[in-house]
Amino acid sequence: MNDAIKYVGVNDRALDLFEGQYIIPNGISYNSYIILDDKVVIMDTVDKRAKDEWLKNVKEVLKERQPDYLVVSHMEPDHCSNIKTICELYPEMKIIGNVKTFTMMKQFFRDFSFEDRQIVVKENDTLQLGHHTLRFIMAPMVHWPEVMVTHEESEKILFSADAFGKFGALDADEDWACEARRYYFNIVGKYGLQVQALLKKASTLDIKMICPLHGPILKDNLSYYIDKYNIWSSYQYEDRGVFIAYASIHGNSEYAAQELAKLLKDKGVKVAISDLSREDQAEAVEDAFRYSHLVLVASSYDGGVFTPMEEFLAHLKAKNYQNRTVAFIENGSWAPSALKTMKAFIEPLKNITIIDKSITIRSTLSDENKEELKELAETLL
Amino acid sequence: MKYICDVCGYIYDEELGDPDNGVAPGTKWEDVPEEWVCPLCMVGKEQFSQQ
Repeated sequence: MNDAIKYVGVNDRALDLFEGQYIIPNGISYNSYIILDDKVVIMDTVDKRAKDEWLKNVKEVLKERQPDYLVVSHMEPDHCSNIKTICELYPEMKIIGNVKTFTMMKQFFRDFSFEDRQIVVKENDTLQLGHHTLRFIMAPMVHWPEVMVTHEESEKILFSADAFGKFGALDADEDWACEARRYYFNIVGKYGLQVQALLKKASTLDIKMICPLHGPILKDNLSYYIDKYNIWSSYQYEDRGVFIAYASIHGNSEYAAQELAKLLKDKGVKVAISDLSREDQAEAVEDAFRYSHLVLVASSYDGGVFTPMEEFLAHLKAKNYQNRTVAFIENGSWAPSALKTMKAFIEPLKNITIIDKSITIRSTLSDENKEELKELAETLL
Repeated sequence: MKYICDVCGYIYDEELGDPDNGVAPGTKWEDVPEEWVCPLCMVGKEQFSQQ
């Protein structure tokens, strides 16, 4: 990165599911950095899968030097896994974290004692390295309690922990916003208020570069990324348009969803559509937050709603979905039960406007249903 | 009176205080220091609601 700040992270293109549930077609990067000054600091470790390559990177940068400090921004195992290994390699190195960091460290490493080398920091504590100065800023519940970010004052770098992270290895040729948005809403989405608190603190800092724990280092046009985070964390929609999510057993609910999409597109409305049985649910969660309007289309099933839709609704509820307009289309051949089940998930959420007129399909679209779809397309946008 | 953390559900009970973190039993919510944080998830007092 420059003479003093070095990247020692690792790309992982072999992992299929990040955190046990998120597909990552272009892998993920576990970022770690070294600051070389009078004092030498390692900023976080990496996942255990990446241990060998990381240690090689660290040794190449350190050469004959010994690290003085390891800063632990986040205790999730994709970042903390090699703490014990690096401590054993460098017995003089101190570990910097907050009270909660060390509580968790004891839980994750039960057979290793850190007490004699831990340095406990709190909000706004600083550490002089020589030319560089680190300032520690607490970011509780972005998205774990012990998370802290570090501001390097001379080069104006924010080491932002999981904030501003993105799926995808660093050499993935893809747009930042799409995979950063999927990462944000699925991993951090529930904690919008806490992200807002961090953005407020960050607004008082001079920042020229953001170094997250996953994804690319952000250098140019930082306001673009910060504006996105501000929109996402305040639960505003990003695009005025309609996201149609459907769960269809035999294709008739799917047909209705596609017909509605056509009607909306013909009107010039921006539309995204997802088959919840087959497509990535994390992508569907992302789109639900991205667009101003959501239409849920599902078959009835076992007295409730078809399971892929139920799963999707559970994700939305868990991620604090709010502040959107929602419409419902149910299908049922004898005793339709999808609508009441979907409504039971959506109604308790904050600031949700429900389109009064829902559509009930009996097996296949009737002429009346086709008129109702046209009305819905008119009502939505 | 009791106050619940909106983020993780921890309950601050004025009767019990939070002696592990320097808040004596019997400390009224308004007298809990502003820098006190939820002992479970570390968020501030402003993210608590009266129960």
